[in-house]
Amino acid sequence: MELSYAWSELRRRAGRTLVTALGLAAGVGLVMAIIGVSAGLSDAQNKILSPLSSVGTDLLVTRTVAPTTSTKPVASGQTATGSGFFGAGGNSALKVASKLNATDTSSLLVANSTVLTDLAKLGPAGTKFTHDFFVPGTLITFPSQATAVVSKISGVSAAVGALSLSAVHESGTVPKTIATLKTARRTLETTTKPATPTAVQLATTIGCLQNAGALGSGTGSSHTRSGPPISKAVILRCLPPTYRSYISKVVVPAQTIQRVVAPPKTDTNTSTYSVGGVVPSSPDTGLVTRSQVTAGHWYDAKPAHELLVNTAYASTHKISVGDTLTIDKMTFSVVGLVAPTLTGNVADLYFDLPTLQTLSTNASRVNEVLVSVHDASQVAAVTAAIHRALPGAQVLTAKDLADQVSGSLSNAHKLANDLGGALAIVVLLAGFAIAVLLTLGNVAKRVREIGSLRAMGWSRGLVVRQILAETVGIGVLGGVLGIALGAVICGIIDAVGPSLSVTSSGLAVGASTVSALLHQSTSGSITTNIALNAPIKLTAVILGFFGALLGGVLAGALGGWRAARLAPATALRDLG
Amino acid sequence: MSADRAASGVSPLYVLEGVGRAYAKDGITVEAVRSVDLAIEPGEMVALEGPSGSGKSTLLQLLGALDVPTRGSIRFDGRELARQSDAELTQLRSREIGFVFQHFNLIPTLTAAENVELPMVPAGTPRPQRQIRARELLAQVGLSDRADHLPSRLSGGEQQRVAIARALANHPRVVIADEPTGNLDSTTAKEVMALLSGLRSTAGVTIVLATHDEDVARSAQRRIQLRDGLIVAATRRRPPVKKAAPVPEAKPAARKRAATAALREPGTRTRRTTS
Repeated sequence: MELSYAWSELRRRAGRTLVTALGLAAGVGLVMAIIGVSAGLSDAQNKILSPLSSVGTDLLVTRTVAPTTSTKPVASGQTATGSGFFGAGGNSALKVASKLNATDTSSLLVANSTVLTDLAKLGPAGTKFTHDFFVPGTLITFPSQATAVVSKISGVSAAVGALSLSAVHESGTVPKTIATLKTARRTLETTTKPATPTAVQLATTIGCLQNAGALGSGTGSSHTRSGPPISKAVILRCLPPTYRSYISKVVVPAQTIQRVVAPPKTDTNTSTYSVGGVVPSSPDTGLVTRSQVTAGHWYDAKPAHELLVNTAYASTHKISVGDTLTIDKMTFSVVGLVAPTLTGNVADLYFDLPTLQTLSTNASRVNEVLVSVHDASQVAAVTAAIHRALPGAQVLTAKDLADQVSGSLSNAHKLANDLGGALAIVVLLAGFAIAVLLTLGNVAKRVREIGSLRAMGWSRGLVVRQILAETVGIGVLGGVLGIALGAVICGIIDAVGPSLSVTSSGLAVGASTVSALLHQSTSGSITTNIALNAPIKLTAVILGFFGALLGGVLAGALGGWRAARLAPATALRDLG
Repeated sequence: MSADRAASGVSPLYVLEGVGRAYAKDGITVEAVRSVDLAIEPGEMVALEGPSGSGKSTLLQLLGALDVPTRGSIRFDGRELARQSDAELTQLRSREIGFVFQHFNLIPTLTAAENVELPMVPAGTPRPQRQIRARELLAQVGLSDRADHLPSRLSGGEQQRVAIARALANHPRVVIADEPTGNLDSTTAKEVMALLSGLRSTAGVTIVLATHDEDVARSAQRRIQLRDGLIVAATRRRPPVKKAAPVPEAKPAARKRAATAALREPGTRTRRTTS
C-alpha cells in the first residue's frame, strides 16, 4: 500500500514532488559538473604533465646555462662537484655560467656568433639569399658519448641523445653594403736626424772620397785640395747605406679600399623557429616518438632528407605531408606531422640527428639525453648515478617538469582541488536541506491526514515508512533529473570549451645568458591554450544518484520522525 | 454503574470512572474533561452535546483510544486504556474502532476505494481482499460508481459516505463520529444519519457521536450534555413500547456539580427527559 499510496502522493502532488526533486537535482547536477570539471582539469594536466612518459622517457639529462639573474635553479636536479661534462666546471645550477670551462664557453660563443650575418659573404648586392642559423639556446651541447655513458648505468633501459636548437631563418636581398673608396696618390716624406757615424763608417767614407780624388792625401787639418770639384754622385756613393735610405722618397700608390658600411639597410626578414634532432632508429624514445605522428609516417629509409613537422607549426605555416622545405640549401621532404607534448623540448621541425648536427656545426654533439629506466622506482637511483657519471648534469624527472607548469590551467586545477570538493559538498548539503525543509513543510501540511492514518490504526513505523517511500521516490527522481542536469552542464562546458592557458618554463629552448648577451629575444617559456572538457564520470553519476537518494532518505527520516510524533488526536482537532 | 448494568442486562462496552484529561497550555493547566463517569453498552448510539470547549472532542478522543486520560479510568471491553502502550492503542483502534470526522479527512490524493482500503493496511489484509472489501463497502453506502473518484470529485455527502465506508473497513465494534454532519446540508445530513443508524441496528455497531445538531442528537438513544468538561445532563430515549423512568446517567456528585454549573449559567437546562 505504501508504494501505491506514495506513488499517488508523488503523482498527484506533482508540483511539490518536482520542486523537492529539483532541489536535489540541482545538488546532484552541480556535483556531477564539479567532478566532471575537476576530472577534465586533471585529464588536461596529466596530458600536459606527462611529457616524458609520453615520449617513453623517465629522465631528461641536460646541461643548462641558467640565467644569472635567476634566483632559483631551473630544476631541482642534484648538483655535483668536480669536473663537468668531460671538462671542468658546471657544478652548480646557479653558478654554471661562470663555471663553464674554456671549451664550452668558446663553443657557445662560436655557436651563437654565427647569427651575426656577414653579408659580404653572401654574394654581390641584389642577390636573393636565405640562410638558417642554429643556436643552442639555454642547452649547452656536449659530446654525444655522454649518451653511451648514461646507457651503461644500471637500471637504464635506453638512453638516446637529442639536439634541441633555436633556429633563425633569414631571407632577403644582399644590400649594397660594400662601399668602394679611392685614395689619392700620396708622397710621404720623413725627416730624421741620423745617428753620428761610427769610426768605421767615417773611415770608409773618407777612403771612398780619397779614391775618387775628392780629397787630398795625407793627414792633418791643414792640407790643401786642388783638382776638379767634388761631384754630388761621389758623395752619395760614399755615404753609409743608412744615410742613403733616409733621403729616399716613400711613394704610396693610388689604391681602392672596400669597407663595410654599418649599419646596412636591408630588406632581410628574420623569423625564428625551433628544431630538434631525433634518432630515427629509436622511434619509442626521443623528442618525438612514432606514436605522436598524426599524419604521414615516421622517418623512412633516407632520414637525412626527411623532416617531421609539429602540427601547430604546420598549420600556421600551411605545411603538409609531402611538401619540401629548403634549409641552408638542403632540401627536405616533410614525411609526417607530429603532436609532441607541451612540456619538454617542443620543436617546430624535427631532423634526423646527424643531419642537424652537420647543419648546425655540432658534429657529434648533443644537448639532451633522454633516458628510460626499467622500473619507476629506480628513478632516484639512476638520477644519482647520472650525477656521479656526469658531474654538472641536470637530471629532470616528470615531477620536476610538472612543477614548472603554470597558467590558468594549473590555477583552475588547484582551485578545483582546493574548493571543488568543498563546493560539491556544500551544494549537495543545500540540496539535502531543501529536500528536508520541503518534506517537513509537507508533513506539517498533512497533519490531519497523518493524524487520521494514526487514528485508523496506522502505527508510527507505518507512517514513517509511508513518508520515506515518498521521499525516496523524490530522491530517485531528483537523482535522475540531477544526472540529466549534470550531463547538460558537462555538455555545455564541452561545447563552449573554456580556454585555459598553460605555461611551461624551464626546458623550453629560449633565453640564455649567452643569447641575452647577444641581444636575442627568444621566448623563455611555452604557452599553450587548452580547451576545458568536463567528462561525465561513472563515479560522479553513481555518487550523484546515491547522493540524491541519501537526501531523500534523510528528508524522509526527519519528516517521518516528525510525522510519527504527531498525536493521533490531531485528526479530530479542528484545524480549519 | 450497577444501575447501567441492571438496566441493559449486558456488560457495557465502555466504563468510564472519574475520567479527567488536563492539558498544559502556555503554562496553564486546562482540564478539558474534568470528571466523567459513563458507561456505554454495545450497540448503543450515544450523542455528546455541548457548546464548543465543553469537552466533547476530548471525550471522543478518549473513547476512540486516540488519547489517554490524565486521571480516572476508561475500560474498553474490560481493558484499561490508560495502561495500554501506544502500540496497543494503535492496534485497538485498528481492530475495534472506526472514525468518522467532521472534515471527512479523506486522503486527497487517493481514490474513494483507496481511501477505504487504508485502515486495512495495518490490519494486514492482503491487497486483493482489501480491494474487494473496499468495493463492497462503497456499494453499501451507495457509491459503487464513485469508487475510482478522487475526493475532490465527490460532494460533501459522498465524501462522508466514503468516510463511513472507511470507518467500517475492519468490522469495528465502535464508530466514533465527530460532528459527522457538521459540514453537510440538512438533506445530506439526514442520509448520513440514516446510514449510521442503520449500522447500529443492522450490524450492532456502537456509535458515539459529538454533535451540535438537534436532529442528529435526537436520533441517538442517549444524549449526554457536556459543559466545562462535565456531564451536566443525560437523557435516554426508550423504545416507545417500553415505558420507563428516565435513568440518571451521571453520578450524584456529578449531578451536583452540573447543578452548580447551571446556577452559574441561568437558562441552561440541566436535565432533559424524553418519553
